[in-house]
Amino acid sequence: MACRTEAEPSRRPLDALACTSTEECPTAPTGSHSVCMVSDFFYPNMGGVESHIYQLSQCLIERGHKVIIITHAYGNRKGVRYLTNGLKVYYLPLKVMYNQSTATTLFHSLPLLRYIFVRERISIIHAHSSFSAMAHDALFHGKTMGLQTVFTDHSLFGFADVSSVLTNKLLTVSLCDTNHIICVSYTSKENTVLRAALNPEIVSVIPNAVDPTDFTPDPRQRKKDMVTIVVISRLVYRKGTDLLCGIIPELCLKYPDLNFIIGGEGPKRIILEEVRERYQLHDRVRLLGALEHKDVRNVLVQGHIFLNTSLTEAFCMAIVEAASCGLQVVSTRVGGIPEVLPESLIILCEPSVKSLCQGLEKAIAQLKSGELPTPEKIHGVVKTFYTWRNVAERTEKVYDRVIGEAVLSIDQRLDRLMSHCGSVTGCIFALLAVFNILFLIFLRWITPDSLIDVAVDASGPLSSWPLPQCSPRDKMNPHSNEDSET
Amino acid sequence: MEDERVFSDICGGRLALQRRHYSPSCREFCLSCPRLSLRSLTAVTCSVWLAAYALFTLFENSVILSAAIFITLLGLLGYLHFVKIDQETLLIIDSLGIQLTSSYASGKESTTFIEMGKVKDIIINEAIYMQKVIYYLCILLKDPLEPHGISQVVPVFQNAKPRLDCLIEVYRSCQEILAHRKATSTSP
Repeated sequence: MACRTEAEPSRRPLDALACTSTEECPTAPTGSHSVCMVSDFFYPNMGGVESHIYQLSQCLIERGHKVIIITHAYGNRKGVRYLTNGLKVYYLPLKVMYNQSTATTLFHSLPLLRYIFVRERISIIHAHSSFSAMAHDALFHGKTMGLQTVFTDHSLFGFADVSSVLTNKLLTVSLCDTNHIICVSYTSKENTVLRAALNPEIVSVIPNAVDPTDFTPDPRQRKKDMVTIVVISRLVYRKGTDLLCGIIPELCLKYPDLNFIIGGEGPKRIILEEVRERYQLHDRVRLLGALEHKDVRNVLVQGHIFLNTSLTEAFCMAIVEAASCGLQVVSTRVGGIPEVLPESLIILCEPSVKSLCQGLEKAIAQLKSGELPTPEKIHGVVKTFYTWRNVAERTEKVYDRVIGEAVLSIDQRLDRLMSHCGSVTGCIFALLAVFNILFLIFLRWITPDSLIDVAVDASGPLSSWPLPQCSPRDKMNPHSNEDSET
Repeated sequence: MEDERVFSDICGGRLALQRRHYSPSCREFCLSCPRLSLRSLTAVTCSVWLAAYALFTLFENSVILSAAIFITLLGLLGYLHFVKIDQETLLIIDSLGIQLTSSYASGKESTTFIEMGKVKDIIINEAIYMQKVIYYLCILLKDPLEPHGISQVVPVFQNAKPRLDCLIEVYRSCQEILAHRKATSTSP
């Protein structure tokens, strides 16, 4: 990708404006896709899914694709915003119901989503996270509109309790006619294929990545005469905070030079505080509360050992980040964790207090005897494992494959729904799909596609934005930097 | 110099854009919507009266009928005076400022004037409006306390809501004037 000349930076948006308004607008060259990422979870909310979407989009833009993101409004942040390199984010004013997930009626979001898909000339809809109602809505509408759909699953579910039975049913419905599904680990793929009764051939595994330049080791931050164990996770049941509460007193009693640093917030924080109170460990167990992502590295480098107590995990980003900072990782053997790091960098234990204590003792013994490799060495190994560029390359292959496939026609789709999702659910959702199609026809009659202004591309081959890393000064362009309000 | 071009608004309605170039430093853009059509007026009146007549046959009270007449008359007056905007004008003079005028169907006019000293820039922006994502033209005002900040965003042609091609037309002309102003103010 060559940089454009910088002759008249202020004029460029104008030329692009002119191009989209006329008929002979150049079409995008083949091989580049217009991708729309949809998820309820995006910045300013923090988490794994959010950073996954952001990093993947950035790398796809770098590879010359057009990417936009659709999410719901966060507080006052609504309308259209631009992030680095012309990544356009739509914050739609939809009501948030529970846990930052929007309420779904399956229909109310169609007018806005359809308007955006048409104006941005989207060809692939990439939905993220099975917890996100908006992602499922977008898949449903995308299929109605005849667009290619891709779904990335970021989490594991059970099969036994009522809530997972229901979510699994919904997932079956949502994924049975989706073109391609991406999972973050083989365990997650197995889980998703079983839950949603999918054909495994349309499920790919693309792991998450970390930015190795963000997570560099710094052994000087460590205390020489102490052993520090770092735990960074949300303090919730799924992350095994209860196990942590059992481990802390046992190990603190055994090793007088042991310290704990615990980052994260959640409903289980109270029991950690109780444990600290009961065993008088205020000077040895530090609770940091919620951490911003940029602070995570500074906390990690203070420790020698990283402990992960998750009870279920599709792909654990935290242990890769910790290993990248040069820490010895001790983790539970659940979900996709065994796939993430090679044996030499991780000590795997059963999810019980006893087993985890043994694992930690082993790590402490190794540390004291100096058997552990140096942090720099660990960093050097880990940084080659998971990079976003690699993730983007593999995702691109999925897109290339998907774009060649035929979208199911209406009758095929109804057939598929009724044959794959059980007779009752299948019929209900087939009926809803028919309603959705009728609603779309009504919307097309009210506002025909020809009345929708084609948006000016901010990324992709026809971008009016300076290409990545070309000139930081063009980011000050008034076109792009204004936040729009509704 | 004056010319007129026809554009459409975001709902597909017809809009006429008149451009008057008085001098290189002074231009006027006038967007006019179609006037209130007899057909829609008749349709609304008829439906109100039919509803009133239905109620009248139900309750047999003639107050309903007279109320319907008053409602239509007052409604029409209010609509023409406060709601229906026939024309929106943007007058830009580079040494003075920008004047925004909207004239209602009744003849009432409301005018806003923005001094050139306060204007930071004129841009096209995107917003979510009802169930649509639209482009609109707006004027950015300088923050008096902070030279690089923006204190306020004033949308232009709020009622007509023209489509992007029309906005680009106006945007270009305005930018030419702003550029002209910058050129003349920097070279004394």
